[in-house]
Amino acid sequence: MDYVLNFESLDKSALPMVGGKNASLGEMIKAGIRVPPGFAVTTDSYLAFITEAEIKDKIYAVLTDLNPDDVNALNNVAAEVQELIKKAPIPENIQNAIGDGYSQLCNQCVVEIVPVAVRSSATAEDLPTASFAGQQDTYLWVEGTDKVIQNVRKCWASLFTPRAIAYRIKNNFEHEKVLISVGIQKMVNSRAAGVMFTINPTNGDISKVVIEGSWGLGETVVSGSVNPDKFVVDKVMMEINERSISTKHIECVYDVEKGEVVNTDVDEDMQCQCCMEDREIKELVKVAKQIESHYGRPMDIEWAIDKDFSFPKNMFIVQARPETVWSQRKPESKIGGKTGRQLLMEQAMKRIKIPG
Amino acid sequence: MAEDTGRFPDPHEFQVPPELEGWEEMYPTHYLFSQDRAEWEKAQFWYQDKIHAPEPMPPLDLIFQEAWQISLSQYTTRVFCIPPAQGIAQRMLGPYMYICAIPPPPEVVIGEKAQLFEKRVFYVFEHYDELWDKWLYKFRSLGDEMAAVKIPPELPKFVPEAEVLPAPTGCYVSYDLIEAFDTLVNQMFKGWQYHFEMLNLTYLAYLMFADVARKLFPGISESAIGKMVAGAYVSMFRPEEELCRLARLAMSMREVSDVLKSGMSADQKFAELQKLPDGKQWLEEFDKAKDPWFYVSCGSGWFHYEGSWNTNLDIPYGYIKGYVERLENGEKIERSMDEIEKQRDEIVAEYRKLIKTDEDRKSFEDAYNTIRTIYRYAEDHLFWVEHWFHTIWFQKIREIGSLLVKHDMINEVDDIFMFNRYEIPELLTELATGWALGVDIPLRGQYYKDKAEKRKKILDAAKEWNPIPALGVPPEEVAEPFTIMLWGITTDKVKEWLKGVDVAAAEDISEIKGFASSAGVIEGPARVLKLLKDIVDLQPGEILVCPSTNPSWAPVFTKIKAAVTDIGGLTSHAAIVCREYGVPSVTGTGVATQVIKTGDILKVDGDTGVVTIVERKG
Repeated sequence: MDYVLNFESLDKSALPMVGGKNASLGEMIKAGIRVPPGFAVTTDSYLAFITEAEIKDKIYAVLTDLNPDDVNALNNVAAEVQELIKKAPIPENIQNAIGDGYSQLCNQCVVEIVPVAVRSSATAEDLPTASFAGQQDTYLWVEGTDKVIQNVRKCWASLFTPRAIAYRIKNNFEHEKVLISVGIQKMVNSRAAGVMFTINPTNGDISKVVIEGSWGLGETVVSGSVNPDKFVVDKVMMEINERSISTKHIECVYDVEKGEVVNTDVDEDMQCQCCMEDREIKELVKVAKQIESHYGRPMDIEWAIDKDFSFPKNMFIVQARPETVWSQRKPESKIGGKTGRQLLMEQAMKRIKIPG
Repeated sequence: MAEDTGRFPDPHEFQVPPELEGWEEMYPTHYLFSQDRAEWEKAQFWYQDKIHAPEPMPPLDLIFQEAWQISLSQYTTRVFCIPPAQGIAQRMLGPYMYICAIPPPPEVVIGEKAQLFEKRVFYVFEHYDELWDKWLYKFRSLGDEMAAVKIPPELPKFVPEAEVLPAPTGCYVSYDLIEAFDTLVNQMFKGWQYHFEMLNLTYLAYLMFADVARKLFPGISESAIGKMVAGAYVSMFRPEEELCRLARLAMSMREVSDVLKSGMSADQKFAELQKLPDGKQWLEEFDKAKDPWFYVSCGSGWFHYEGSWNTNLDIPYGYIKGYVERLENGEKIERSMDEIEKQRDEIVAEYRKLIKTDEDRKSFEDAYNTIRTIYRYAEDHLFWVEHWFHTIWFQKIREIGSLLVKHDMINEVDDIFMFNRYEIPELLTELATGWALGVDIPLRGQYYKDKAEKRKKILDAAKEWNPIPALGVPPEEVAEPFTIMLWGITTDKVKEWLKGVDVAAAEDISEIKGFASSAGVIEGPARVLKLLKDIVDLQPGEILVCPSTNPSWAPVFTKIKAAVTDIGGLTSHAAIVCREYGVPSVTGTGVATQVIKTGDILKVDGDTGVVTIVERKG
């Protein structure tokens, strides 16, 4: 039984053990994509925890016959379960395994205490047909074994937010079948970060990669708290067909004094500046294409550009999941089955409007 | 200026600067805006044709424009009958040419044309290859006939004996001279009739394919479409290929390559090479390449003063020098045609793979095959007509010019281009009449000389004047394929013009727009070259800024970082070559050579078509 597994040892077959997000990071590392190093706290850790702490049966008992539309009952049950998870002692061997995993990561990064992102990775999450995305928590810039373990526990608890519970009931996922793993990943000290899609999310055009990015950590883009810079890039020609630079008022950064990540104001002269260079855009597109062809489907990817490294070693992928909106639609014909002859005849009849 | 009213000045009221006074008499009267047709002319939208007539128009050079006005239009209106499209009309205002795409005909006519279109057009697509072979044979024969037209070198004191005895030939030099000019005019018109034989259809097919590509891949760039459509084995590139071949040949001839690398003039090199045994062999090969390939114009082919490689042998010799040097450094000089074709096919295959439904994939393939079948025409006809054919014509006209100089009718050979094609027969008739009348007959040489001088002054003054971009009322719709594809008349363009580029403020302009014709973004120093002969100044790593390029500029493209032109759309020479070399380019800016100065630091964005002047020199 493995309580922790290095990302490098993971692939999609590890999904039941490490959840979708972590398995996907392992897949990408195997495909040669630059992913920040880290390890997964497996679902076995979680199971061993709730079993050995003897809270497992209690949890599933309170969840039985819960009406998801009864908000009060839902909130009470959620609070009760979360309380159980927060209070129960974590078995020592699990704590040791996480501690060892963290120390090894520190060694690998050649720093005493490496800041990490702690993210939950549920086993039913991010399946193309069931988007659980964003339902579990993420904790940024966590430093030291104790804090890592603390946040692992929070992630475990996040499996039982009222929203997550209700979602499972309504979509007929059994609570027992949905397990949780946690990813511990080296933080990218990002100058700029954001998301990208290997399909144009506005029209479903799969010949484009659409990148959105802003200053600092990617959370501002993911959460929608800034208008990001946006680039539409042609996959075949690698040309930037469209670029819109927005005013980016805030950025998410690590505050040394507070010891946490905070949203701060962006310097005025930086607000309207493009947050990335063209070569960085093109490098991202290259990686996006690689990821898409690895998975064989349109993907939704989180990326970050590290200020401590130089191009192209500064480009990191921190997350990738299948795109779920357009991928589920049945593709429609755009040309309507016309022949070259019909198309030519149509063109010949055309008049181009020039509005006055 | 006219932004609030949404219309440009009325051409009948527009005043040209006083120093252009007398410009009207240089051109045929039907080329002038006139009260007789005022109502119609006022209702049209006229824009300056910067593609064919970016410079003030010498009277005789108008012949090419006259010829295309008829030919281009007739194929659309009367031959292949593109249903809602009509022809393109031309007018002169000052020494600049304005054109207008005539609005669609009544619905009844559109219906009639649609039927004819269907019947007539598809045959061409289905038989393109064989039609092209016929076309080329026919066209080259016409050029050869033109080259064979005999121009009397002078009017002899008495006709030669052989023309009288044993039997009189019956017609003599006075007739030959007038006939020769008429023949040259007729041949030019005929050549231009041939020019458009398949071109309108090619443009139509291109627009069709571009439309399909845009529907399938919204936002796809014009340069991507251009790259999918372009061919590698194109006549336009042959002149350059011949230079490469000659440079390679010289590599196995030590002494020859030494001469070619030297700083001597073309004439000196020729003399030196003739002394060498290998040199003679090399010169034979050079001669073989010369006809037809060095008939390539040093400019667009539209103006007599541009010259050709043949008339400026220093240009091909200069290029060969560069190629020999690069070969000695172990560099590769040839375009790799197979590589270019392979690359293109890969791009097409990649896009094809991105199409989601079988139905669309089939339409895409069908549309692609349609344009690929015929697109070669757009690429190949250019060399033969605008370059080879025009160069022959200029040579012939200059022979007549020499005769006129000899007989004291004009001062310089090229002054013949100061008279339009209707005036020259009058001039020749006066000369022939004088000759026929006997000795001591007064001729009005001074009259013609004065006229030529005055006209040269007007044309010079016109260069200093910046013509207004458009006149009349912008149209609500355009159906004419050339207007859209070649001149790129779009809503944006019209709006840009309405804003009016104030040339007095050229120094204040820091950004100009054109076609995003070859992708990539790059920064570097500008080199503004108005004429090909100035390319000696060009340094490696500079950004070329020029009115337009053509095949004779080809060797320049391996040296430059980016190209910006005044004239030319997405299928212009600069656009095609830049895409091939992976050099960013913005074409058809209209004003680059006016606004940009050599040494300015530019940022050329070939993805968006924007050129920014980052820093002014000094």
